[in-house]
Amino acid sequence: METAALVVVLVIALALFFDFTNGFHDTANAMATPIATGALKPKTAVLLAAVLNLVGAFLSTEVAKTVSGGIVNEADIPHDLLPQLIFAGLIGAITWNMLTWLLGLPSSSSHALFGGLIGATLVGFGLAGINFGVVLSKVVLPALIAPLTAGLIAFAATKVAYGITRRYDGKPDGRSGFRWGQIFTSSMVALAHGTNDAQKTMGVITLALITVGWQTGDPGSEDFHNPEFWVIVACAFTIALGTYLGGWRIIRTLGKGLTEVKPAQGFAAESSTAATILASSAFGFALSTTQVASGSVIGSGLGRRGSVVRWRTAGRIAIGWLLTLPAAAAVGAFAALFVVWFDGWGVAIDAVIALVVIVGLFLRSRKNAVTSANAMSDVAESGHVVDLPDVPGPTRRTSRIELMRALERAERKADEAERAARRAKKLKKAGGTPGEIKAARKAADRAARKYAEAEQASQEWEALSASRRARAQLAEWDLAIDDQEGAR
Amino acid sequence: MTVVIDWGAFFSVFVAALIGAVAVVSLYALGLRMLVRAGRVPVVTPAEFTDAITVLSEKEIRHASKQAAKAARKSPLTAGQRNLAFIAAIGCFVLCGAAVLGGIMIIVIGH
Repeated sequence: METAALVVVLVIALALFFDFTNGFHDTANAMATPIATGALKPKTAVLLAAVLNLVGAFLSTEVAKTVSGGIVNEADIPHDLLPQLIFAGLIGAITWNMLTWLLGLPSSSSHALFGGLIGATLVGFGLAGINFGVVLSKVVLPALIAPLTAGLIAFAATKVAYGITRRYDGKPDGRSGFRWGQIFTSSMVALAHGTNDAQKTMGVITLALITVGWQTGDPGSEDFHNPEFWVIVACAFTIALGTYLGGWRIIRTLGKGLTEVKPAQGFAAESSTAATILASSAFGFALSTTQVASGSVIGSGLGRRGSVVRWRTAGRIAIGWLLTLPAAAAVGAFAALFVVWFDGWGVAIDAVIALVVIVGLFLRSRKNAVTSANAMSDVAESGHVVDLPDVPGPTRRTSRIELMRALERAERKADEAERAARRAKKLKKAGGTPGEIKAARKAADRAARKYAEAEQASQEWEALSASRRARAQLAEWDLAIDDQEGAR
Repeated sequence: MTVVIDWGAFFSVFVAALIGAVAVVSLYALGLRMLVRAGRVPVVTPAEFTDAITVLSEKEIRHASKQAAKAARKSPLTAGQRNLAFIAAIGCFVLCGAAVLGGIMIIVIGH
């Protein structure tokens, strides 16, 4: 029992460290778009993100209940073995997180955590230890569906934002006002992040506490899997601290990827991210906030006129996401092997591995050499998925309005030309001076020229509507050629 | 082993998030539109020009402010209509905030 208690203490320490790295890693994701559009100063954004992560962690416990009372069949696994497996799982998650961070691969802290837990339980206890129904319905399916949902919602929200504020008279549209709004929507993303991500660590700690009987309450009651208050407070403050200290990366990492995000688009993307995560948290779905935020950035990019998807970049990101869970499971399983082979000594070996990983992470973070390969925000990476034209083509309504204007102008100029020609003829008949006749003829010629120009403009506007599809196709071909050349 | 998947929950999340996000974005955008109509075109400069920001240069901001002032001067609306548009804009922003708070309250109280 003493060994189990000691392991639980180690699990709590390691889980809190994981929580810290989660906040550290995800600050950039929560605050990427408002900084990119200039809605917030980086320092303000980081502080705001930390405070709201703290508040968000207190809002709901549904995700924590999913983690502590659903993924692993804790009743079937021996209570002295489970804390060791959780410990091995956490090592798998942290190691995979660190590896992807160093290699600059897109990853998700949440999926690394679940992968590590699942892998360690599979090796340490077997298939019966995993509740596959909960894993599928609360982890795997939300992981696949949530980024798509967020993308679709962001697409619709971007269309709405641009549609409502669009002006056809060329006067200011006030869209820079979306920067004010971004302060609130990015705050909501930080709040949602605290609500979903801090709870995962709470769930892991609660699961460990249950195994050694430190969890208070009636084991048969529904609220038994609710985290203890001190667990909520510890996780909330740890993720907030990680978020605050992780802020230094933001200033350096946002140079690429999100430069084309406009305030209206960023506002729509953040609204979508926050709404998706908050709604999912209420249902206990353990999402990856990184993936949801990335889905929103891509969806909102596609919501802008003339945008084209770079499928190669999108594919690379998707593969990174799909790999996270099994890869972290493999590392977790490897750590669990030591527990299976050497029991208590196995935990000690794992603890040494954890220490090496943590020290490595610390040393790496001390280095200031930040390149696009190792310090890119995962959300910023998704900014490359959509290619946007510098000047988007006119909307259908603009084309229609311009066509009408050109036709009206052509009609007016035709009238003017006719009037001027009649006047010249009249002057000639009435015996006007040569100067007067010449001037009237010149006016007639000028009006005829203007008429021809207006007529041509109207034809061009008409042709533009028809060629819109063709131009989009050409842009796609250009991108494909760029991709092929890049691959070579 | 039977795996029961609650597809209804996924659908509920999608609908709730869609309604929430689109309502917030629509109300805020409508508020901005009303502000523009009231002759108070917002020209919000970036908080800080980090390397990443290429959205507006100082010259572009001056130009945008000038254009906004010109548009306000040339507004065809009467003073009363402009005041009404301004009140409508504030109303939209307040509703937008209320929608956000309402969403959070549902999550907190619901659990």
